[in-house]
Amino acid sequence: MVMLSRSREVGEFRKRYKWMALVVVVIFMIVITRLIQLQLIDHDRWARIAQENITKTIGLPATRGVIRDSRGRTIATNRPSYNVYVTPQQLKDDEEEGDDIELISSLMDLNAQERASFERRLARVPARRRNHQIRMFTDVTRDQVAALSTYSNDLPAVDVIGSPVRTYSYGRLAAHAIGYMNEVSAEDLERHPDQGYRAGDRIGRMGLEKAWESYLRGRRGYRRVTVDARGRRQNDPQNPEQYREPIPGRDLVLTLDMELMRTIERAFGGHPGGSAVVVDVRTGRIRALFSKPTYDLNEMSGRLTNTQYRGLRDNPFRPLIDKTVYESYFPGSTFKPITALAALNESLIDPARQFECIGYLQIGRRQRLRCTAAHGDVDMRSSIVQSCNIYFWKIAEMIGLEGINQYAREMGLAERTGIGINTEARGFLASRSWYEEHFGRFRLGYTLNTAIGQGNTRTTLIQLAMMYGAMANGGTLYAPQIVEAIQDPNGAEIESFDPQIRRRLDIEPQHLAYVVDGMRGVVNEQNGTAYGARIEHGIDISGKTGTAEIARGSVRRSLDPTQRWYFMRSHAWFAGFAPSDDPELAIVVLIEHGGAGGKMAAPIGIRVLQEYLGGRTATASTNAPTRGSR
Amino acid sequence: MELARTLRDQFDWTLFVTVAAISLFGVVNLYSATSATRRPDLYIQQIYWLSLGAGMAVLVVAIDYRYYERYAWFAYGTGIVLLILVFLLGDSIRGSTRWIKIGGFSLQPSETMKVFLIIALAKYLHNDPKTDGRTLKDLVIPGLILAVPMGLILAQPDLGTALICAFIFGTIMVLTQLKIRSLVTLFTSFVISAPLTWTFLLKDYQKQRVTSFLARMNGDTTDLLDSGWHTHQSMVAIGSGGFWGKGFLQGTQNQHRFLPDQDTDFPFPVWCEEQGFIGALLIVGLYMFLVVWALKIASQARDRFGAVCAVGVGGLIFWQAAINLLMVMGWMPVVGMTLPLFSYGGSSVLTTALGIGILMNVSMRRFQY
Repeated sequence: MVMLSRSREVGEFRKRYKWMALVVVVIFMIVITRLIQLQLIDHDRWARIAQENITKTIGLPATRGVIRDSRGRTIATNRPSYNVYVTPQQLKDDEEEGDDIELISSLMDLNAQERASFERRLARVPARRRNHQIRMFTDVTRDQVAALSTYSNDLPAVDVIGSPVRTYSYGRLAAHAIGYMNEVSAEDLERHPDQGYRAGDRIGRMGLEKAWESYLRGRRGYRRVTVDARGRRQNDPQNPEQYREPIPGRDLVLTLDMELMRTIERAFGGHPGGSAVVVDVRTGRIRALFSKPTYDLNEMSGRLTNTQYRGLRDNPFRPLIDKTVYESYFPGSTFKPITALAALNESLIDPARQFECIGYLQIGRRQRLRCTAAHGDVDMRSSIVQSCNIYFWKIAEMIGLEGINQYAREMGLAERTGIGINTEARGFLASRSWYEEHFGRFRLGYTLNTAIGQGNTRTTLIQLAMMYGAMANGGTLYAPQIVEAIQDPNGAEIESFDPQIRRRLDIEPQHLAYVVDGMRGVVNEQNGTAYGARIEHGIDISGKTGTAEIARGSVRRSLDPTQRWYFMRSHAWFAGFAPSDDPELAIVVLIEHGGAGGKMAAPIGIRVLQEYLGGRTATASTNAPTRGSR
Repeated sequence: MELARTLRDQFDWTLFVTVAAISLFGVVNLYSATSATRRPDLYIQQIYWLSLGAGMAVLVVAIDYRYYERYAWFAYGTGIVLLILVFLLGDSIRGSTRWIKIGGFSLQPSETMKVFLIIALAKYLHNDPKTDGRTLKDLVIPGLILAVPMGLILAQPDLGTALICAFIFGTIMVLTQLKIRSLVTLFTSFVISAPLTWTFLLKDYQKQRVTSFLARMNGDTTDLLDSGWHTHQSMVAIGSGGFWGKGFLQGTQNQHRFLPDQDTDFPFPVWCEEQGFIGALLIVGLYMFLVVWALKIASQARDRFGAVCAVGVGGLIFWQAAINLLMVMGWMPVVGMTLPLFSYGGSSVLTTALGIGILMNVSMRRFQY
C-alpha cells in the first residue's frame, strides 16, 4: 500500500498527536502506579480488611466461676441478663429498607434523651470498629429483648446477647474480702493487651474477685460466620464457620464461713466502725474477714451513682477501706505477749519475780507514766491478766527496743502475711534510728511505749490474728489461707491448697505455754481485764484486751468539729482463742474508737467464739463488774 | 464485491480485536459481578446490547463518514431535542432524570449526545480551517455548541456525563491551534467558576462526595458510612485481589455484595479482585492501546472532519476510562461514570459502538480521496 500525501490542514495537527499520546500514556501509568500500590504493596492490608468485611464474630461470654464458702454456701454467682450489641456498619438508613435507629428506638421504647445518647455513642465508634459488635445497651428488660427478637430478621445490625451478671448472695457481708467487679478501663486494656479483654468487659476490682480474676474469668468463646454487606448470614465454603466454645471460669471454695460472718456482724451490733478476723489456728485458714462499715457488692458491681460513690468516699468511718488487711493500727496491749515472750526467751527475767505497781512510773524529774490502776505486787502472769503497764515497762528496759522489735518480727509483725488480697499493709516497727531521725534523739520512753503496743508500732488485724494463732497452736506461724480449693463447674476438684507454714517460732514451748496461760486468766480470773465479758459455763476462752490511744495527728482535719471528739477516742482491741485447752480458732476484734478493749471489744470476741464453737446455749454474764482494761 | 474487498483490505483488525477483547472481558466480568444479585442474567442482556452495537457499527462503517459531515447539524439537533424530551417524559431514578422509555428500552440521551457533540464540533472545525492560532473569540461558537447540551445534562443532573462533554471539547480544542493566551484565560475562568459551580450547581450529595474524597486523600477514614464507603469497599476489592486474583466467581467483596453498582460504575474492582494485578494490567493496557490507536487513526485521517472525529472518540474513551479507573481506586471523587464497553448499560454500549464505528470508518477511508 502506498502512503499518499494528506491535505495540509490535517498535517497541521500532527505534532499535537504526539503530545496527546504522551499525556494518555502518562495518565495510564498513573493508573498502573495506583494498581501496583493497591494490589501489590498494600495487598496484605486490603486482604485483611476484605476478610474482616465478611467475617462477623459473635462473642460467647464465659460464665464466671462461682464463689462458695467453706460450707458450700454460694457467695457469688451469676444471673442471666441481656445486652444489646449493634454493628454500626450494618445499620440501614434509606427509603427502601427503613431507618434502623428509628426502629431500634421504638422497639426498645427509648425516650428522647436515651435515643440521643444512643446516636451519640454510635457516632463515636471509630471507622475500624464499625464492623464490630459494639455494646450499646446493658441489662435490658425482658420486654425489650422480646421486641427486638421479633424484628431480628429486619435488624441484622442488632444482636441481643445473653450475658451472665454477677450477683452476691450475701450483699454487704464480707464485701471487702469477696470484692466486686466493674467495667474494664482503658488502662486495664493497655496493661493487659494480650489477655483478651475488650471494652465493655467486666473485671474483678477488689478482694478475691480481683486477686483470682484469671481463675474466675474463664475464656470467652466465639462463633465466626460469613456475612454479606448487609450482615446477613452467608454460606461460603471458602470461609467456613468457626466456633470456639466458651470455657467457664473456675469455682472457688473459700475458707470463710459466712455463718460465722453473720455471727460477727450481729455481735458488732451498733458499733459504727471496726473489724474482725477469725482464723483456724491449726491450719491458718481464715474463717472470717469482717470490716465495718461496708457496702453492698451488688450495688458496687452495678452502676454506682456519683452521689452513692461520694457518700462512701466521704463517710468518716471509711467504708471503702478493708480494715482487716489494708489498714494498720497501734496494737495496744495486745502487743504485751510479745514483750513477755522476748523477756522469757532471752532469759532476762524469772517470771515469778515481782515488781510493785504504784499506779505510775516516775521517769526523771518531770515525766510520770501512768498505769491503769495501782496493781500492787505483780509478776509476769498477773501483769498479763491485769494488763499492768508498770511491769512491762520494767522488763522493757531489760530487753531494749531492738529486742522487742526482733520478737515482734519473729511473730510476724511488720511483714506481709501473704493473704493475697486488697493490697496488704506491711505494718511498722520503729527502730532506734527511726526515732533518732524523726524525734531528734532516742529516749527510753520510746522503748517503754513499744513494750505496751503504743509507740509507733503498727499492725494489721490479719497479722495479729496469725500471731495469736501461732501462740495458740504452740508456735507454728501459718500463712493465712482464704481459698481452700478450685473446682470446675461440675464441682470436681481441680486443685486444693494445703495449709502453709511460714515458720516455727524460735521460742521455747514452755515460754509460750506460760504466756498463753496468762491469757487464759485474762478472761477467766476475777481480776482479768476481760473477766466481765466472759460467758459462764461456756467455752473456755483465752485472750488479751487492748486499748490503743489515737495519735492526735491522725485525726482527719476535714472532720466536723462536733464529731472530732469521737474520733479522738481510743481503739478497743480483743485478741484471743478458744477452746483454751485445745485451741481451734483465734479471733482479733477491733472496735474503732470504741474505748476500753475489755469493755467494748472483748464481749464481741468472746460472744463470737462462744456462739460459733459452743452453740448459743450458755448465757452471757453481764452483771459482773468490769475492770480497767489496759 | 467492491465493498467486500475494501473490507478485507482496509478493515482495521487491530481496532476490532482490541474492542472485541474489552467487550468480551466485560461480559465475563459481568457474569461474575451479577451472579449474586437479583439479576444474574444481566450478562445476556449485555450480549444483546453488544450485538446491537456491532450491527449499528457495521451500518455506520458502511456509509462514508463524509456523509455524516453533511448531516452533522441534524444529528446535533436531534441530540438536543432528546435531551429536552428527558425533562418532559423522563423517569426519575435516584433523584435524577436521565432516561426516556422507548418501548421496553430506556434511552439515556446524554450518552448519545457525546457522539453528536463530537460530530458537531468536527463539522464546525472542518468548515473553519483557521491555520493561525485561535483566540478566545474563535471559541465562542464551539463554546456554545458545548454549552447547550452540557447545560441540559447538568440540569438532569448528570455531573459525570457533563464533565466528559467538557473534557471532549477541551481535547478537541487543544488539537486545533489555540493561542497560549487563550489557554491561560480558559484555565483562569475555570478556576474562577469552580467555587460558583460548587455553590450553585452541585447538589449536597455531590459536594459530600468531593469532601469525603479530599478527607480520604488526607488519610481520614472516619467517614466510611456514607460516600466514602463505596470507594473504600472498591479499594478493598482491588487491593485484596493481589497479584493473581481470587479467581473467577471467588471475589468475596463481589460475591458478598460489598461493591456498589458493580455492573455499571464499579465493574473494574470486581475484575481486579478476581483476576488480580495481571488481569487489571491487561484491561488497562487494552484501553491505553485503544486510545493511542485512535490517535494514530486521527493522524492518518484523510480530512479535518475525520481527524477531529477520531480524536473526539479517542478522547471520549480515554476520559471515561481514566476517570472511572482513578475513581474506583480512590484517586478521584465518585461521579457517575461507566467504563466504556466493560460496564453494563444499553445507552453506554450503543454510544461507544457508535463512536467505534466512526473510528473504524475514518480508519478505513484514510486512503480514499
